[in-house]
Amino acid sequence: MGLLKKEVEHAPCTVEISHKFESLHAHVRFNNGAVIYPGDEVQVQGPEIMAPFGEIVSEEREAKIIRASRLEQLWTRLTGDFEVMELCEFSFSEDARL
Amino acid sequence: MNAPIKHTADATTVEEGLAIAEAQDKKFNSEMATETAMANTLLTPRFYTTDFEEMDAIDVSSVREDWDNLIDQMVRDPNKGHFKKNEDWDQVDWEGMEPELKKEFIDFLISSCTAEFSGCVLYKEMKRRGNNKDITQLFQLMARDEARHAGFINDALREAGLRVNLGFLTQKKKYTYFRPKFIYYATYLSEKIGYARYITIFRHLEANPEYRFHPIFKWFEEWCNDEFSHGEAFALLMKTDPKLTSGINVYWIKFFLTAVYATMYIRDHQRPAFHKALGVDPDWYAHEVFTKTSKLTEQIYPITLDIEHPRWQRNLERLQKANVDMVGATGINKLIAQVRAGWAFVLLYTIPTKKHATPKSVRLEPVY
Repeated sequence: MGLLKKEVEHAPCTVEISHKFESLHAHVRFNNGAVIYPGDEVQVQGPEIMAPFGEIVSEEREAKIIRASRLEQLWTRLTGDFEVMELCEFSFSEDARL
Repeated sequence: MNAPIKHTADATTVEEGLAIAEAQDKKFNSEMATETAMANTLLTPRFYTTDFEEMDAIDVSSVREDWDNLIDQMVRDPNKGHFKKNEDWDQVDWEGMEPELKKEFIDFLISSCTAEFSGCVLYKEMKRRGNNKDITQLFQLMARDEARHAGFINDALREAGLRVNLGFLTQKKKYTYFRPKFIYYATYLSEKIGYARYITIFRHLEANPEYRFHPIFKWFEEWCNDEFSHGEAFALLMKTDPKLTSGINVYWIKFFLTAVYATMYIRDHQRPAFHKALGVDPDWYAHEVFTKTSKLTEQIYPITLDIEHPRWQRNLERLQKANVDMVGATGINKLIAQVRAGWAFVLLYTIPTKKHATPKSVRLEPVY
């Protein structure tokens, strides 16, 4: 990992989407144990995935991981906390009026 | 005009249920898809990392008994059968709904669905990255609940002709970072205030059923009990490390209380039609929810905000007005609005708090 340079790696991943009444969720798991660090960007390659209603689909895909530079990682660690209010259910909407 | 389509809740077999869902999809694909703004709801959850090693190091042995009881209850999952539609789920007249109300109510459903979904992503990530069995089990159970709530809201959105779009999965997403303690403070409060919000609306509609314009409100009572248990879990987590609720961290707690209350106040005032339809005055509602939340958070926080202080309501209103003025403003006007908002927040934050001793055992039961 460079101070300023971003590195790109590819990792096989499993995408699971549940579009059922009992559970709406979507998870991406890296099959090679790749770990995401602050500031990294992840993009699952290929066309959009969506399960039909009432079903769970699981697809093997490849994910592109753009590793944050050391500086960016540090920056994200220092400033990420400011966004913590997003965790609240009624977080700010873009507009003050809908 | 098509014949009214049966609801999936009316199905008696799986095949019938699927056939109804398919018929609904066809109808929506042909008719609703033209309403472009309505047809596709892009969920935009956020992605976080934290210090997973620090979380793994949590030792719950000092609260073991309470912890095991709570986890047992979550494993037994008394709400499992609750999130099903039954005869109480009345048909909703979406087309006859006043447009402003419809817009605000849909925004309410989407933001709730996104929040549940983001919670699910966060909790699942913690489950996956951890090795401490107590912690991973808790996060697995909470992820389950959040996904269930998201599914339930999703169904209500489908009835309104909206389809969730999980396109974010294949878009580039950046992972931000939160310190574990900030996750505890924010999610603990979010779960407890969530409980207070849901139960206040539920009790209000129980007493005034004529304002219940959508059946989803009937499910709020059990729903908020999940939120309540999640809050209990975070309270126990914080109890394991007294440093989290003492010293300099008390200022963080005060910050989160002020920010969460203020955010809720601003956000609720963005939905006047929604509150009017419920027969709820947003100022009364905010005060009611803050009172309940303050009472609940005494279980773990050594301070509560003085919401009866004369500066409290006045500056909440100022903050809300400044926030409205910020939108659409540019240049100097925007800056002025930002300064006004910042100053109002400072005046809120500096109101002296009420201090009290926290109980030895943190566990509470939902009583409101």
